[in-house]
Amino acid sequence: MSAVAAKPQAGGAMNPAAMAVGVVMLIILVGIGYAISPGLGLTALIGIIIGGVLIGFGTHFVPVGGAPAAMGQAPGIATGVAMLAAGAGLAGLFGGAWAAEQGLVVATVTGGVGGGLLMAITCMMVNFVYVFGMGIPSASGKVAKDPITGDTQAEFKSQGTEGHGLPFISFVGGVIGGFLGGAGGTLIYVQLLELYEASLPAMMGLPPAQVVPIAVAAAGMFAVGLFLVNAVLTAYNITGTIEGPHDPKFKRWPRAIVASAVASAMCGLVAILIVVPM
Amino acid sequence: MSVKVEVIEGGTPHNTILITGLLGTLVCLYLTYLNVLTNTEMFAFFGGLAAIIALIWGSHTIKVLCSYGIGTGVPSAGMIAFGSGVIAMLFATRFGILAPIVALVLAAVIGFILGYISNNILNMKIPAMVQALTEMAAVGALSLMGFAALITGGFTFEGLTTGTVSMLGMTISSNQISFIGGGLIAVAFLLGAIAIQHPFNATLGPGWKQDRMLMLTAECGFLSMIVAAVMSFALISAGSAILSLIIAIAGWAYTYNQYIDLSKRDAAAWLDAKPIPDTEGH
Amino acid sequence: MEQIVFGIGITALTGALATIAGSAEDTESNIGSQGDPNSQVQLAPQMGFVHRIFNKAVAGEPPAYGLWCALGAGLAWAFMAMQVNAVLAIVLGCVLAVFVQGVYATTAYLGRTASLAKFGQPVYVDVLKSMTSVTMAHAFIAIFSTVTLCHLINGALGHPFPLPLLGLIWGIALGAAGSATGNPYYGKERQYQNQKFGAGVPISASGNIVRYAEAGERNSLDNGFFTHKIGGSASGVCFGLIVFLEIWRTILFEQISAGWGAIIVGILMILIFTVIDRYIEVWARKNYGPYTEAKVAS
Repeated sequence: MSAVAAKPQAGGAMNPAAMAVGVVMLIILVGIGYAISPGLGLTALIGIIIGGVLIGFGTHFVPVGGAPAAMGQAPGIATGVAMLAAGAGLAGLFGGAWAAEQGLVVATVTGGVGGGLLMAITCMMVNFVYVFGMGIPSASGKVAKDPITGDTQAEFKSQGTEGHGLPFISFVGGVIGGFLGGAGGTLIYVQLLELYEASLPAMMGLPPAQVVPIAVAAAGMFAVGLFLVNAVLTAYNITGTIEGPHDPKFKRWPRAIVASAVASAMCGLVAILIVVPM
Repeated sequence: MSVKVEVIEGGTPHNTILITGLLGTLVCLYLTYLNVLTNTEMFAFFGGLAAIIALIWGSHTIKVLCSYGIGTGVPSAGMIAFGSGVIAMLFATRFGILAPIVALVLAAVIGFILGYISNNILNMKIPAMVQALTEMAAVGALSLMGFAALITGGFTFEGLTTGTVSMLGMTISSNQISFIGGGLIAVAFLLGAIAIQHPFNATLGPGWKQDRMLMLTAECGFLSMIVAAVMSFALISAGSAILSLIIAIAGWAYTYNQYIDLSKRDAAAWLDAKPIPDTEGH
Repeated sequence: MEQIVFGIGITALTGALATIAGSAEDTESNIGSQGDPNSQVQLAPQMGFVHRIFNKAVAGEPPAYGLWCALGAGLAWAFMAMQVNAVLAIVLGCVLAVFVQGVYATTAYLGRTASLAKFGQPVYVDVLKSMTSVTMAHAFIAIFSTVTLCHLINGALGHPFPLPLLGLIWGIALGAAGSATGNPYYGKERQYQNQKFGAGVPISASGNIVRYAEAGERNSLDNGFFTHKIGGSASGVCFGLIVFLEIWRTILFEQISAGWGAIIVGILMILIFTVIDRYIEVWARKNYGPYTEAKVAS
């Protein structure tokens, strides 16, 4: 049997039965979280699920063209979607972790702005290289008009390509994606950090000041791990490339929301179990 | 990607690699427990061997999965494997001697759910997906545990979170200087995540050969073990770290040479400072 | 006040280091044909265009640089834990990380090329020897700069994350910025110099990469030489701006109204970059003009 011939294509269709199973799984996982640790644990779990969903949803906005974008054959940024989202989200996490002691809201928004800033600079430089380095204007291949500026796209598309560069809508999408990713990653980190700082001293029999490095490193590592899981799941959802919020593939986001919620609930539950006494 | 990939033809079947890899990893992980029994750190190197065996198994799983063209690059598969594996592995370290078994089971459960999500909710419909993600999460958790055992000499939560600092001749216990507190887990994470996907990523193409890819995995594993052994100087006794380092260097030199020989065997030609050969039609 | 002045000094230094890192990273990946342009180097022999270009496919740039920088940082951390001087520890850590990078590069070239045997693509040992050493040198610059800036952030500015985790984060961000900015310039402008300037490469031309140089046959050092002039510098500016602005807004404005100061400054900077981007886009539309007559949207 040749797998290439039988290569299945991930379609745009929703699978309602599987979505329902996903929602039920989510409820069960949250229920387990409530059963083992009704207070701090449940709050952290819900925070992690929201963070995971933000990451999964945000990755849909990041305009990534994959290999064809590097040859000016397709619009978007020329790299992998999961890793570009990770780059932005982790830069956001860096800023958010720095602001962690200033409270949840400030830290999360700081993380989001950090991710958005990385994407804004990167998208600007991508257009800079396209326009001033290669003499190529931006054009989208998926829509006739830019939904924000109303610029027509088709006549700026060079022959034999699907478009190139980053039209304004893709730039905005990139910034939103970076913002959501950075905020989601920071939310997961702050929730886990609070939980670990509160429960590790009793569990390990150490004064609170001593466990801080462990709480920080473990929460940071989990935030990175959860980020990668959610970003890769979203990359699977959009099969690797997307132009931004105007791309027809963007309409697949409900699937990714359910998928990210279940995956984050599962991983988050295990991350919480680490400090639950047994 | 424009590169065409084919399903495995010939060579060792995947199930044989799976079972051998699983048993070998668990046995090697438990051999590091000799450290506790004999009260030394000399057996830490078994952790590195466990990680290498797990990586060999995992790289073949990636080959099986990526033969289907999953729409995004091969590296992402390594990332999802270790992203889910790291969580299972850290939780499992709380169970003392049962840790490897708990890590295996828990990672398999997480991987199974991720596989279900990808295949059904995200509608990918790839036959090998569920099994492959289950295996890869287990590989991620077990090889991280192997690296942890190599660097710290054990796989218990206490061992991973405490270390000793010697300052001006005094030894003080510290949480900052430890596998988790110092963030070495991030290095082990990426060492594994790259080593698991690199062999298939680097040998894909029409001339893919199973033995060459698996030899490359062993080479990547030993290479990762070299640097992990260097890091272990900070956390275990110098004698044990030197032992791990010597084993790693010997293994790496052997597998690297073998890999070059296998590449020489498969290459169209092996030229030094020669121009592009004339081909008809161009 | 003194604290802030010290902070600004460190911020400027990290920004400068990041600029060097971004520039070296892009040049390294272009010499190795890493990242997305790799697909064309891989495709060319299959279309009958046997070449002498280095084909070093070690994952994408972000995960690969995540590993090199995390590894350099982890080794530096371990040496510092053994009471080695910080500067020496960072240099030693980066040397070992570069060794790993070099070995990965050789195995990737051998593996990919051997798998292309069917199309007659030979393994060039001289390419392996001369290109690997050059990519290792560039990688050392990139890794050393990144690990040093992580150490400054951790040690001098007091970020809570341990050094290896910072290495992972900034390594991935470095790879993401470098590949996003630098890849099109190498992929379109250099690999397809034979195609029309100011237009994307038609899909039908895929695989027909330029294989001959001004004299003799093109090798990857020529590519690094060419792309460094714009792609490399742009990647450096990109990563430098990211690191500098991210730290600058935190150091200067974090204390204003309990953290909201840094957020407002961040949003303002995003708006400024949005305006610049829109200006570039409109400028290109006006000056380069459409390729075809505007059609009425159906």
